[in-house]
Amino acid sequence: MAQPQASRETAASPAWEPRIIAFLCYWCSYTGADNAGIARLKYPANADIIRLNCSGRIDPQLVTAAFSRGADGVMVCGCHPGCCHYISGNFKTMVRMPLLQRVLEDLGIEKERFVHEWVSASEAEKFSKLVAQTVENVRALGPLNWPGMLHDRGVGHGQDRKPWGE
Amino acid sequence: MSEANEVKIGVFICHCGGNISDVVDVKSVAERVGKLPDVVISTTHMFMCSDPGQGLIEDKIKDLGLNRLIVAACSPTLHLPTFRRAAQRAGLNQFLVEHINIREHVSWVVEDKVAATDKATRLVTAAVGRVRYLEPLEMRSIDIHQKAMVIGGGVAGLIAARDLAARGMRVVLAEKRMFLGGRMAQLDTLYPTGERAWDLLGPLIQDVVNHPEITIHTGATLVEASGVVGDFRLKLRVRPRGVAPGVDNIADAVAACPVEADYAFNYGLNKRKAIYAPYRDAMWPREACIVWDDCTKCGDCVKAVSGQGIDLNPPAQEIEVQAGVVVLATGYHPYEPKAGEYGWGQPGVVTLQQLNRMMNPEGPTGGRVEVNGKPVKRLAFIHCVGACEREGVHAQGEHGKVNDYCARTCCTATMHAALELQQRDPELQTASFHQHIRTYGRGHEDYYDRASAAGMLFLRHPGDEPPTVVSAGADGLLVRSRDLLTDGVEVEYPADMVVLSTGVVPRDHGDLRELFKCTIGADNFLSEVHPKLRPVEIAVSGIMVAGACQAPMDITEASAAASAAASKAAAMISQGAVLMDPFIAQVNESLCSDCQTCLTVCPYDAIHRIEADGVARVDEALCTGCGTCHAACPSAAIQQYGFTDDQVMAEVQMLLDGKLADLTA
Repeated sequence: MAQPQASRETAASPAWEPRIIAFLCYWCSYTGADNAGIARLKYPANADIIRLNCSGRIDPQLVTAAFSRGADGVMVCGCHPGCCHYISGNFKTMVRMPLLQRVLEDLGIEKERFVHEWVSASEAEKFSKLVAQTVENVRALGPLNWPGMLHDRGVGHGQDRKPWGE
Repeated sequence: MSEANEVKIGVFICHCGGNISDVVDVKSVAERVGKLPDVVISTTHMFMCSDPGQGLIEDKIKDLGLNRLIVAACSPTLHLPTFRRAAQRAGLNQFLVEHINIREHVSWVVEDKVAATDKATRLVTAAVGRVRYLEPLEMRSIDIHQKAMVIGGGVAGLIAARDLAARGMRVVLAEKRMFLGGRMAQLDTLYPTGERAWDLLGPLIQDVVNHPEITIHTGATLVEASGVVGDFRLKLRVRPRGVAPGVDNIADAVAACPVEADYAFNYGLNKRKAIYAPYRDAMWPREACIVWDDCTKCGDCVKAVSGQGIDLNPPAQEIEVQAGVVVLATGYHPYEPKAGEYGWGQPGVVTLQQLNRMMNPEGPTGGRVEVNGKPVKRLAFIHCVGACEREGVHAQGEHGKVNDYCARTCCTATMHAALELQQRDPELQTASFHQHIRTYGRGHEDYYDRASAAGMLFLRHPGDEPPTVVSAGADGLLVRSRDLLTDGVEVEYPADMVVLSTGVVPRDHGDLRELFKCTIGADNFLSEVHPKLRPVEIAVSGIMVAGACQAPMDITEASAAASAAASKAAAMISQGAVLMDPFIAQVNESLCSDCQTCLTVCPYDAIHRIEADGVARVDEALCTGCGTCHAACPSAAIQQYGFTDDQVMAEVQMLLDGKLADLTA
């Protein structure tokens, strides 16, 4: 039988920290995050970055997978429209993400938990503030605990406790 | 996992002096990550990028038979290539290396040491999940066609062509207009040397046209472009001149032409015929040309030359060019004031470009600067027209934005023109209405000092309160402004002529975006890959930028950029082949449902439908690895190498996995 989810255990505990997954494109947003570091802009440690070449690669399924595996919030950042390294990859993101947001809201995931923003390589400050604001918003909402919900129903990824092919 | 596929992961964590280890407890990270399955070694080093650091990695790969490498250090943009090379030296495929950023993304942005150490642990853990799914990949090698295409026959294009040819490269130079020389041909004298533009441009053009390795097409517009670095396929549409070389009595033909049209070369200051030759001896090609949009085909010019050498119905030509690299030197437009802007449209209000044409002895006024036939005695310059504009103060352009950037050339060009005119007429009164003066370049400040010493009046207005220009009837014009240098008093300056020092604006780059997939900045100039590290290359491999298509720059800077672009292009060509990232998409044809969604989302038209099989297939040479098709494929038939579902999902899983709680406990 599956183990209880970590976030379930700590849901009520004051030690709970929001867990955010940030999908960033390499050319603009990842470099923007690099530049936040170079400028020594401090922001909370809760957002873990996953690097992709282009925000156009960000399959909505990656976002739902993050929530169903225990993320309290997900961020998707790419180049500003018109500035995509791959010409128009981010235009696809631009139409996919609002649709995804509506689906997530229908599924009961508050819209503050899913952030889709454009962050250019020069917008280090925007990135750091975006992370800080997202962490603050998610903290106010409390744990999402979607895996717990899935676990209670005996469905979905909440059952899949194996980290990889064990 | 079978023995043969046994995964052996090595984790190497860098202190980066103290840059990382002052905040992140790297030993603790190494220890915790070392407990993960398949991690054979997890260790730290003071400087992983140093020779001993790389040596450590190489030794461990060999000694322990590592087949996956994780380096947690600075940003991968900095040292991923370093560690890939280290892996290669030790016999490990370079794409089995993962570089995790725990400096820019952790130690430099997180204050709390425990939180930073936990975050670093999570990121490295995610990499442990990911690397299991990495596959050995090879760089793609593409042969380079030994020819360069230069687009634009202004000073930047000419210099790029000359420099490329000097390195023994074959060059095709295409110029959209009917004559070479670009914007520089329209100038009079140049700062900072005071030389005449034609004295520099003429010999440069001769060097280019006389070079055996350079082919020139004027009147040539690029209409098609396909292919990739090493093998660009370009199609030029060439407008015929209508005039054969060596027609002796062409002046008779020009005189016979009954059509008069605004002469754009002189910024509309005078008219030209539908058949014309613009400027003196050094012009190239030497033949006149017919402007087909203006020509009525009345035949008067043909009669004037007795039917010899003029053809009113020549066929348009299409020329195909194959080139390994492309240099874009497509130039800029001078800003054209909007109706009524600073009195634009009133008699006596001209742009700096028009003033330059007037000052030229071979220009429309024979070098005289006058209004309604009267010499100008009081001259007011207004700076930053169409440059350094402010949102909410200045009217937006057609692109819905104000030109908020500095055009960089106009301050010095203004001082230069004012000085030159003062030398011609010591009685001349000049005034500069500016929000700031930016004579920034080497030797430029000298012009400011000398203009000041020569009596030029400097009046500084606030950037959000631009001056106004009104008509004073028969007395000419009045410039009204506040002057911050005299405590903000309101000033009225009567002037015979007001010169608008107009900025540099980008040409419409929509065609280049369409043809070459160029990236265009928020200011609508072409964007380079990196302003410092790769300043003359754009993100599309094999395409360089030279000159003012990239940003406002003066001739000095455009020439330097052109030489840089030429040397980059030459270096690329002389390598013979280019290597490209292997992170391309691939279709699993047995899963493909032939829905063709991927064909519609690909920005590079790199996916084609194979009719016979009813499947999509990726053209590996065209794919740049954005992964948009991967995300769009409803059948999960497309996977992008390096970012497969397995790889990314493993990261998500490991970042959020409950096991991490055990590790961080």
